[in-house]
Amino acid sequence: MSLWIDSLLAVLAVFLAVRCLLAPTLPQCVFLFFAFGLTLALAWARLGAVDVAIAEAAIAAGFLGVLLIDALRDFSRSRSTGEGGDRPSRVSQGLVGAGVLVFLVVAIEAVWRVPNGGGLTALAADNLPQSGVDHPVTAVLLNYRSYDTWLEVGVVLMALLALFATGGREYFCRPVVRAVDPLLRQVILLFTPVLFLVGAFLLYLGKTEPGGAFQAAVLWGAGGILLHLGGWPVFASMAPWLRHLLLTAGFGFFLLLGFLFMAGGGALFEYPLAQAGLLILVVETLAALSIAAALTAIFAYFNGMSAESAEPFTPASS
Amino acid sequence: MTMTNLFTIILLLAGCFFFLGGTLGLLRFPDLFSRLHALTKVDNIGLGLIAAGMAIHIGSPWAALKIFLIWLSTLLASSTACYLVAKFQLGRPSESPEVPAK
Repeated sequence: MSLWIDSLLAVLAVFLAVRCLLAPTLPQCVFLFFAFGLTLALAWARLGAVDVAIAEAAIAAGFLGVLLIDALRDFSRSRSTGEGGDRPSRVSQGLVGAGVLVFLVVAIEAVWRVPNGGGLTALAADNLPQSGVDHPVTAVLLNYRSYDTWLEVGVVLMALLALFATGGREYFCRPVVRAVDPLLRQVILLFTPVLFLVGAFLLYLGKTEPGGAFQAAVLWGAGGILLHLGGWPVFASMAPWLRHLLLTAGFGFFLLLGFLFMAGGGALFEYPLAQAGLLILVVETLAALSIAAALTAIFAYFNGMSAESAEPFTPASS
Repeated sequence: MTMTNLFTIILLLAGCFFFLGGTLGLLRFPDLFSRLHALTKVDNIGLGLIAAGMAIHIGSPWAALKIFLIWLSTLLASSTACYLVAKFQLGRPSESPEVPAK
């Protein structure tokens, strides 16, 4: 029975991916991409990687979906026909194709070589008592391989900085001018504390069970995006120094901690045994806050951009 | 087969039936309003039945409460989304929307 479900999921994922790539119109492509993301999340859950499943559903299907729909609106406004712009030349098409082929070969080769014994699972489990947390995934992310996680937090910050560099600095703290439906505002007000609470719960849960900084960050970021859509731009009411502190706290504190450990004679991100649990919780909280702020800011930037070029939307008086 | 298992299976099957009905409505109904009607009402009942089935299957009151809360928030979110989509369609000036007579 479970083999049937798994096979169905695998076939469905590949089918949706192919359909998404070959979709004739942009909206179809976007919605097939959602379906693909959710199928992938289910597949991760079936593989027992609940952390990855939550992250996949929340970031790939959720946050990316919001950005894609926002982009879709711009596209449908700016050009009516799907055929626009120049087609890439034969040479660049061939180059991209060759690149993808090389990537596929390398990826398949890497998967082929994964030892059947489960890789580093045993090693991760053996060192769990020294990591300060009880959940192996959190231990890997924030202790054994915290260098990677630090850089991931940095990547999100980097994306935001790139947007700022293209002139997005004013957009993300600009108050919203369009009229917002009163019912939508009420529902958003109702959901905001719930999202915050569930995010905090996931963050704390990461110590012992699937959950953690990224999952919490997406929920908080979703709260920020909803508030922005409801006409409360979160960054507008904030002092600039607080805004910048919020955006950089996660990356900065991680960096500071790493330097302090090195100054103390240890390696980068070598947590002292006694305080490991507490330090990880602080790092995770700050990282989650920063990522959530960055996600909200990225959305606010794109949404502000498209609102700029849009005709004022007037809801029907019913 | 125990009584609770039987209950779970019946609830899950009923939920799947409603989901199937909702999807059929989405695919076959002629205009946006009737499609919304099918999607939001029928699917929420389906989700509620499946949630009830899972709550009985898990058998822990806390888990059941959490599942119930998830269903409740889905209800709120989907009815709000339905309202917003319908309102947007009504406010669109270009095409004359077929407003269902009530």
